[in-house]
Amino acid sequence: MASVSYREVTKRFGEVTAVDGLTLDVRDGEFMVLVGPSGSGKTTALRMLAGLESVSGGEIRVGDRVVNEVAPRERDIAMVFQDYALYPQMTVYDNLAFGLRRRKVAKADIERRVRQAADSLELGPLLSRRPGQLSGGQAQRVALGRALVRDPQVFLMDEPLSNLDAKLRAQTRGEIKRLQHEVGTTTVYVTHDQVEAMTMGDRIAVMNHGLLEQCGDPETLYERPANLFVAGFIGSPAMSFFEASTARVDGAVRLARGGLAVDVPDAPALPDDVTVGVRPEAARPWVDGAGLAGPLEGSVDYVEALGRETFVGVSIEGAQLVVHHEGRAAAQPGDRLRFGLVPAGLRYFDRATGLALEPQPSTIPSI
Amino acid sequence: MIARREQALTYTILGVFSLLALAPIVGIVLTALQSPDSVRAFGALDGVHLGNFSKAWDQGNFGSYLKSSAVVAAAVVAISSVLSILAGYAFGTMRFRGAQVLFYVFLLGLMVPTEAMIVPLYYDFRDLGLTDTYWALILPQAGTSIAFGTFWMRAFFRSVPRSLGEAARLDGATSWAALWRVVLPLGRPAVVTMMVLVFMWTWNEFLLALVMVSDEGLRTAPLGLAFFQGRNTSDFSLLAAGSVIVALPVVVLYVFLQRHFIRGMLSGAVKG
Repeated sequence: MASVSYREVTKRFGEVTAVDGLTLDVRDGEFMVLVGPSGSGKTTALRMLAGLESVSGGEIRVGDRVVNEVAPRERDIAMVFQDYALYPQMTVYDNLAFGLRRRKVAKADIERRVRQAADSLELGPLLSRRPGQLSGGQAQRVALGRALVRDPQVFLMDEPLSNLDAKLRAQTRGEIKRLQHEVGTTTVYVTHDQVEAMTMGDRIAVMNHGLLEQCGDPETLYERPANLFVAGFIGSPAMSFFEASTARVDGAVRLARGGLAVDVPDAPALPDDVTVGVRPEAARPWVDGAGLAGPLEGSVDYVEALGRETFVGVSIEGAQLVVHHEGRAAAQPGDRLRFGLVPAGLRYFDRATGLALEPQPSTIPSI
Repeated sequence: MIARREQALTYTILGVFSLLALAPIVGIVLTALQSPDSVRAFGALDGVHLGNFSKAWDQGNFGSYLKSSAVVAAAVVAISSVLSILAGYAFGTMRFRGAQVLFYVFLLGLMVPTEAMIVPLYYDFRDLGLTDTYWALILPQAGTSIAFGTFWMRAFFRSVPRSLGEAARLDGATSWAALWRVVLPLGRPAVVTMMVLVFMWTWNEFLLALVMVSDEGLRTAPLGLAFFQGRNTSDFSLLAAGSVIVALPVVVLYVFLQRHFIRGMLSGAVKG
């Protein structure tokens, strides 16, 4: 096991800068998720750590060793690929044993370690099959097993769940987390799926256009996003935004937009113009107004009923917000809906830079 | 009804073309089996006279020619296969400066016909003292076969998912081991197809052997056949028997490897 650190790491492909001055520390034994939209540089960052891409600038360390010029096979890193990359002509057993044989591990030792990995992943009955005879989920477990059996310093996973169906994905998420916890190996996990990132990562690094936008634990990213991009990327349904001007009124801050005005008590000091971020759970139907700022009234665009909860898309003064209902909502598209905002749940961003104005220490209170 | 009519038409067209392709071959085989004494039309059968083959074998010195052809073809296939696999692997999986330009240089070898280079080649080999040796037949053909083989193997290596070689390298394999243990075993149909094609082209090569070799003992089968035909212009059944003897090794090879061969041909066209 080892820590991993990126220092000002840059990767250029010709004119394109895929990763731009990435500085990131992954602690020993930590589960770090790199998340971002496609083209954000997360996979390139991972491949540089694996040694599959050269580094254009900066330094990558595994433990105390700078690995920039170290061949992949000498980095003691195991990787799970998106397409699993199982060796098709070899049996599952040989797939698992390949890395150990290459490293000249004693035969009895190989046997023991393969059996052990196979047991923990329930691959026992599949050991004599070839990859072509496996289902997607089984192939995925073999790919995990191949990484696990090597007992490397670092695990790398490149969107390992993206080829599984939704149910299997949720199940495997838990499985990977459990295994990582058991073996305690430092893991760098790449995904574009923020749900995966939130549920699996000890910490999450959000990347966009080759830049690291923010790194922190899931709660920090959710509650205190550093900028508009992170705020919009993390969370599902996503945070809604609207631009507003501000004014102090009787100790509250009045957010005004067109003909709309809402007084928010306990708001921090804000500049004249801000972008306001509203998570769905910070916009609730107006019942008696207790604890909410408002009321506001908008027209319903769409209704997403998920059973236990319902998200209602509302347009108001040209802004789109999502209002969260417990249980079912009676609203239909085209209806008028009255709702209020949870003051502590609002996030404010600088209109020009997109940076968060005041990191909010409190969480959204539940009613 | 339309489907059935269409099917009938398809089979008719296929049948006609099969007939066109097969008729000359069947004709030669039947002619080779004719009685040597009776004068018959091409392709007519009047019993089975295998004596033509032994007579042609002895008179035509085909034992020696076939041996030369076998030596040359085996050497060309072996050399060009190994080098094509290595070059194709580099072009197909590695990024290096000048890869594209270099690849076009390789392709040049596919485009230049033997006729265009035979004369300078002859003088070069004469200067090197290599004319009238097997090397004069092996080296030029290995060279042109590598052009094709590299092109062919590059296409195969590009079709293999990149992650497979990468996984092997992370698993502790060198590029060399990743090639031979992980990637190439998937390419057996491609390699077999390449070997069959190179074997066939080498086996049938005529001009190079004609120019480079004058020693009777080094003559290859097609060259020997030409000389044999020059000597026996009237004995059709003997000529036909000689042709069958020369063509047989390629046919036998193809029959044994056709399963791989067809799979290899298809894998280029259809992503399997």
